[in-house]
Amino acid sequence: MKQMMTLEVNGETHELSVEKDATLREVLRDQIGLIGPKRGCDSGGTVHIDGKAVYSCLCYALSYDGAKILTADGLSSGPALHPIQQAFIDAGAVQCGYCTCGMMMSAKQLIDECPQPDEEQIRHGLSGNLCRCTGYTKIVEAIKLASERLAQ
Amino acid sequence: MALHKLKDFHTPGSLDEALDFLGQNSEALVLAGGTFLHGLEARGLMSDVEVLVDIRKTASTVDVNDSAIEIGATTTLARLLEIPQITEAPWAAALPDALFYPPVQIRNTATIGGCIAASCPFFDVPTALLALDAVAVVRGAGGERKLSLPELFGGLFANTLEPGELITKVCIPRVSGKAASAFLKLETNANDLAIVNAAARIVVDNSGICTEARVALGGGVAEFALLSSSAENVLLGSKLDAAILRAAGQAVVDDIAPMSDHRASAKYRSAVAQVIAHRALERAVARLI
Repeated sequence: MKQMMTLEVNGETHELSVEKDATLREVLRDQIGLIGPKRGCDSGGTVHIDGKAVYSCLCYALSYDGAKILTADGLSSGPALHPIQQAFIDAGAVQCGYCTCGMMMSAKQLIDECPQPDEEQIRHGLSGNLCRCTGYTKIVEAIKLASERLAQ
Repeated sequence: MALHKLKDFHTPGSLDEALDFLGQNSEALVLAGGTFLHGLEARGLMSDVEVLVDIRKTASTVDVNDSAIEIGATTTLARLLEIPQITEAPWAAALPDALFYPPVQIRNTATIGGCIAASCPFFDVPTALLALDAVAVVRGAGGERKLSLPELFGGLFANTLEPGELITKVCIPRVSGKAASAFLKLETNANDLAIVNAAARIVVDNSGICTEARVALGGGVAEFALLSSSAENVLLGSKLDAAILRAAGQAVVDDIAPMSDHRASAKYRSAVAQVIAHRALERAVARLI
């Protein structure tokens, strides 16, 4: 049985008919067609709801009727990449790439709250994201670089 | 996802509306942050659920007054870290200590009421709340009642709420005098539940004698997080020197019944529970002003 709901996703309003037990990640990926929120462990998929990083796999979509969602797909709205995305490229912080979207969304929450994080704060801010390639060092460097560029 | 029998997803806008609905649908499952339900769902344990009631919009105010910190049950863990009276008070420090461990995605979603209602022995915040003598305020058709956490925890993943009842508030009573608390967790990695965790709250008089003590343990030391009266008895009436703190840590083995699982054996939990309780006590003592 489906139910109607509204989501503002990456600046666009979507009227959606969703399964009552659908997770937010299922709606974002399967109904809206975004590829930022990844299904890995089935309990992750970091996106922002009303400016806060959450696991879209753990959220029932219907809990968030009317919410504003930001996914990695919407980090940059124009041709230029968001400084966090650019820093991930410049620092070589991507191996297989599967964790990258989630890492960037956690990085955004961290830098939004703490514009000049030190290494310990960055590592703590990423504690909810796993990189199966174990490429954490360059991810930490990328976030440091992004925070420095954003502060300028 | 996997709730094949789900017929209704109800999102009441107020506590009264939620209680009315639960009064008529007592089999409905209450959903707050939902981070724990998902784990149950993924294991097929919720396949019979027909009605979900999302109460997130019903009780998220925080009132800090002279006698207690009163936290609406659907307050997120992240919100608690924004309240200076919680993050800066040595007597309540076990709570922000425990809030440090879950990743930001969980802190932004999980609620204080949900984490105690889950009666999950592996969570961190309930252990801290036990040491702080927190009380759950519960409402249902029969009115309001207060449950201490030992009264609320009925068993593994089972609370003692009656059908149709909700936790509306979690109250942490203030302690007067020289008081401090702390929480500590032993974990295999930053994303995992506790192997063992411990929290302590102590109050001393002007000559440094311990007049009140709470030592709480969680993380599979029993089917629910618990208070160790044996450790507390070692501390009460004593000066909190190194030998007494060590003895109090060792005393926790008299009160726990650890489980063996994929994280650790009962024997290992029994050994490290003493160490973690001891260190939590040391951390609390170091905060006495």
